[in-house]
Amino acid sequence: MIIRYDIGIVETRNIIKTIFDTYGYDFRDYALTSFKRRLEDVITENGLRDADGLIYRLQNNKDFFDSFLKEITPETTEMFRDPSLWRTLRDDILLDIVKSSTNKPKIWIANFDSGEELYSLHIILKELHLLESVQVYLSYMSESVKKKVLSGRIDQKQTEVNEANYERTNGQHKFGEYFTSSPMGTFFDTSLLSGVTFTKQDTFFTNPPGGIKLLLFRNQTIYYNQSHQDKALGNLHDSLVAGGFLALGTRETLDNTNINHKFTVVNDPDKIYKKKTG
Amino acid sequence: MYKAVIIGGSAGSFQVITRILNSLPPTFPLPVLLSLHRLKHVRSGFVEALSIKSSIPVIEPYDKDQIKPGKAYLAPANYHMFIELGNRIALSTEEPVNHSRPSIDLSFSTAAQVYREKLIGIILSGANKDGAYGLKKIKDFGGLTIVQDPEECQVKTMTEASLKLSKVDHVLSTQEIIRFLQNLKQ
Repeated sequence: MIIRYDIGIVETRNIIKTIFDTYGYDFRDYALTSFKRRLEDVITENGLRDADGLIYRLQNNKDFFDSFLKEITPETTEMFRDPSLWRTLRDDILLDIVKSSTNKPKIWIANFDSGEELYSLHIILKELHLLESVQVYLSYMSESVKKKVLSGRIDQKQTEVNEANYERTNGQHKFGEYFTSSPMGTFFDTSLLSGVTFTKQDTFFTNPPGGIKLLLFRNQTIYYNQSHQDKALGNLHDSLVAGGFLALGTRETLDNTNINHKFTVVNDPDKIYKKKTG
Repeated sequence: MYKAVIIGGSAGSFQVITRILNSLPPTFPLPVLLSLHRLKHVRSGFVEALSIKSSIPVIEPYDKDQIKPGKAYLAPANYHMFIELGNRIALSTEEPVNHSRPSIDLSFSTAAQVYREKLIGIILSGANKDGAYGLKKIKDFGGLTIVQDPEECQVKTMTEASLKLSKVDHVLSTQEIIRFLQNLKQ
């Protein structure tokens, strides 16, 4: 049985206020249920006793804050999640955006990925021989997440799921070719990542790269309330070029957002949108 | 007096859920939240299969959908389904719990925090212990807890784990669960 430390809503709000006051990161309009749950995980795993213990640590230890950001951000947990999305990117979108661009088109994985989306994209790019033809950006908040992503380390327990997903994308190679395994763990071939630009972002993406042709933002708005969603998506919309693509998670939708009218639906099951002109 | 019914099930629960949804009055006064283990990579088919015989609409919700009475909400494949303050669905792709996503424990314990004593939790047939902790949470918050009679379950691991972890209010057969739900007034 799981022994968990339960915190109340007032305590949760106090922690969020501490983070905002001390570091400027704004989680005030994150969806409460999952954020509270993750705070409880941080308290439990770090032996912090209670909400006050976490507040004290946050106020007095800057290094702790970076690992806090890592723990508070849900991991992507699997590669090639929703294989049909990856098939659509490979067969219909990636070649198209390269052909229609005079410069290297920019692709931005804007959600706070723990590596799985980035590695999946690079396998597809490699198989399309497009690694040199695009510029990929990846958002990050925590330096230790960035380090982890660059190390290529993946959770060995996920290999079976990852491989099954890859096969459902009708990938052209043996999945294992992209990894090396040793007693140290299983590592993605990071030589494929040499062109990636990391872009540090806050929770609203107020400093986007701009000129983006394809933006992956899957399963990130599920952690937001309406107002945070509108503000973050507004900034992401601004970073896309007219005609640029936006992919959300399969159970996310723009329907209830204030930018819905600025996009058309390209693929409904996989929630791919296209930014309208003008 | 109740605000919602939440049902958790795994192996051997499909027929039971189908019978329950088929027997509810079309004017059933509460939302029915369904947290059922399912194949993570198969996104379509399940909600359609449940809908065929259901007397109330069965929906696979989008994130932040408002929860309404007289509708059933099925946790989508490969997402956890939380109940958020303000009576909304909140989805999550956080790591699986009890090897499960959706995890019944997470759906039940978040629903317990929102609906407190106004929640009915039901655990059906299943092959792991997911749901036992969540049912205990419902009980802790003063809600009503029901477990399908293990003798009737195709796989009784889940119901037995639930009965072991907390003092459950009722152990009922499928027919008795149906009668109980049919008699609910808002």
